[in-house]
Amino acid sequence: MFEFPEFLSIPLAEWIDAGMSWLLTNWAVFFDAVGSGILFGLLHIERFLLWLPWFVIVLLVGLLAWRVMRLWWAGLLMAVFLVLIGSFGYWDLSMMTLAIIIAAVIISLALGIPTGIIMARSNLVESIIRPVLDAMQTMPSFVYLIPALMFFGLGKVPAVFATIIYAVPPVIRLTNVGIRQVSPDVVEAARAFGSSPQQILFEVQLPLAIPSIMVGINQTTMMALAMVVIASMIGARGLGLEVLLAINRIEVGRGFEAGLCIVLLAIIIDRITHALASRQEYTVQT
Amino acid sequence: MKNGNLSQNGEVCIEVSGLWKVFGSDAKEIINSEKRTASKESLLEETGCVLAVRDVSFQVNRGELFVIMGLSGSGKSTLIRCILRLIEPTAGKVLIDGEDICGYKSKRLIELRRHTTGMIFQYFGLFPHRSVLDNVAYGLKVRGVAREERYARAREVIAKVGLKEWESYPPSALSGGMQQRVGIARALATDPEILLMDEPFSGLDPLIRRQMQDELLNIQAEVQKTILFVTHDLDEALKLGNRIAIMRDGGIIQIGTPEEVITTPSDAYVREFVQDASPAKVLTAGNIMEQPNILLYEWQGPKAALHILGTTGLDNAFLVARTGKLLGLVTLKRLVELVQKGGSSLGEALEPDPLTCTPDMLLEDLFPLAASTEYPIPVVDDEGKFVGEVYTSTVLGSMIREKTEEAEAEAAKVEAGEVAAEETKTDV
Ligand SMILES: Nc1ncnc2c1ncn2[C@@H]1O[C@H](COP(=O)(O)OP(=O)(O)OP(=O)(O)O)[C@@H](O)[C@H]1O
Ligand SMILES: [Mg+2]
Repeated sequence: MFEFPEFLSIPLAEWIDAGMSWLLTNWAVFFDAVGSGILFGLLHIERFLLWLPWFVIVLLVGLLAWRVMRLWWAGLLMAVFLVLIGSFGYWDLSMMTLAIIIAAVIISLALGIPTGIIMARSNLVESIIRPVLDAMQTMPSFVYLIPALMFFGLGKVPAVFATIIYAVPPVIRLTNVGIRQVSPDVVEAARAFGSSPQQILFEVQLPLAIPSIMVGINQTTMMALAMVVIASMIGARGLGLEVLLAINRIEVGRGFEAGLCIVLLAIIIDRITHALASRQEYTVQT
Repeated sequence: MKNGNLSQNGEVCIEVSGLWKVFGSDAKEIINSEKRTASKESLLEETGCVLAVRDVSFQVNRGELFVIMGLSGSGKSTLIRCILRLIEPTAGKVLIDGEDICGYKSKRLIELRRHTTGMIFQYFGLFPHRSVLDNVAYGLKVRGVAREERYARAREVIAKVGLKEWESYPPSALSGGMQQRVGIARALATDPEILLMDEPFSGLDPLIRRQMQDELLNIQAEVQKTILFVTHDLDEALKLGNRIAIMRDGGIIQIGTPEEVITTPSDAYVREFVQDASPAKVLTAGNIMEQPNILLYEWQGPKAALHILGTTGLDNAFLVARTGKLLGLVTLKRLVELVQKGGSSLGEALEPDPLTCTPDMLLEDLFPLAASTEYPIPVVDDEGKFVGEVYTSTVLGSMIREKTEEAEAEAAKVEAGEVAAEETKTDV
């Protein structure tokens, strides 16, 4: 048999480790700042959700679902789902999970929408970012836990960080697509009337890309929810941790209950954001 | 009226010189090499580049309505886009008010588009996410005009194009012709000095189309805009244009007034293009009028007039005042009667209710006049001065020619139809 020649081996792992440790020593201040920023926001969201009485949240979610889906029974159903989560005894854990999702989604949108805009405006940028996004989405989600751990240690912050990396690609992609698919005739007309590049973006391209961006937001939110379960491995408390513990201890009933709560949460979030997205079909306001 | 303002102010507003547009990666090299003379087809085959505009030069005077005409694909839209640099020209210059806009930085260009020009697109280019009102107000919005003011102005223009009830609807709720009118309103709302119109009336039904054309001529008569008007409809070009440029395969092959284009087409292509234009829609009384052999003047006595008519063998002549103003038609019969009565003033020998026409009256409109009289029709200017006469025989002759041509065409069509019908019959 032929051994694979030694001289062809590439020590990629070592390089990455070296890079990481360089980053860690030289950019420690930066990561600390980012980490405490994330933690600050996250804790406030979490505290607020836990501070609100449960029936207020149930009521708000029910009303919201009713408004966006325009069906009274859909609103009722969503409220009932939330009550179910409480009945299983997972209210607080669900709110913690929700807090991580909200924090991760907000940051994802804040990063992703501008990135998508930049990507849409330059073919060069698009050709650079596109393969990165592809790689991000094909990578097993566990992989993101490693750099998250290294930068931020154990806890909630790395969970949010890993969730962002996992969840941000759809909103970038769909912002890009949404802007690019705006009819060139319309953009040309805007140019002909003397719109500045900003005016073209804010008056024409972004409004017309909103349906697409909303789909991106929906997908990003769903991916954030999926990642939260995995992120519990690095210390995020919440529903994910319950599932993880149940698996370790082979407690089928407990695992099922926690899993069901995740599914219910997913349905609520998905239905509401989905309805928001499909409502955006060019509503003309005067 | 029609061509009157062409020569009176010769100030150039838009000047295009040596403009080229080649779509494709090595466009610049093509037009700098000997390939620039190659035909559009061979260029596409050899290099994969599309030649859209080839070495176009023309000038549009201020207040002129300049029509660009040509078949589909001849480069009209590309040319008109290059003038605003919506498409960057490959080579050549575009001067607006004497300034080379190809040298403009993007800021200046935006200012130009905001304040000086307005454009109507062949495919509308309306904003689907905005109401008709917001679409029309858009040009004012980017200019920074306050909300109330721009809506007031937009409503005014929307009413003008007859879409008052539709202002709060999105464009998708409107028919194609209505959308086109929104596009027209959007361009008019900013009241630009220069209007670029790419087949603005193509999608409209004949009635509204005629209304819009007339409205455009009205605007033009009121507030002399400089208009570049693209169309592929010859009748429209002839009706609206002060001058017409005819394009083929990206190049301009003739520029001239409607009369010139009709009467002296520069080559076979143009001739073919204009052959089915009816001269009656283009030629005016001024084009076909002649100078009479004799005129009678009011200070002449009846006997002298009789003598003049007698020596020339005519049985009528026009009577003109000292100022050149037309007084009417004197006929031999009445003149003889007057002399027998012993009258002293030629004014008593005038035919009652004389017909007149103006130099810009279309042949088409002369037909009814010509049919109602046996005498020549005098042509008078705005002040009533006599400038020439039109023979009814000329007018009616051209009408007959036109009618027989139409009839022949009809007959040919019918024949072809019958042949086709027979063929299908035999097929069965
Ligand atoms: N963006 C483009 N890329 C490549 N070729 C183009 C582009 N735009 C126009 N062309 C080509 O340029 C030529 C002229 O097109 P243009 O649209 O100016 O014609 P047109 O005279 O306006 O025709 P129509 O009457 O059908 O509107 C055509 O051969 C067309 O294929
Ligand atoms: Mg065109």
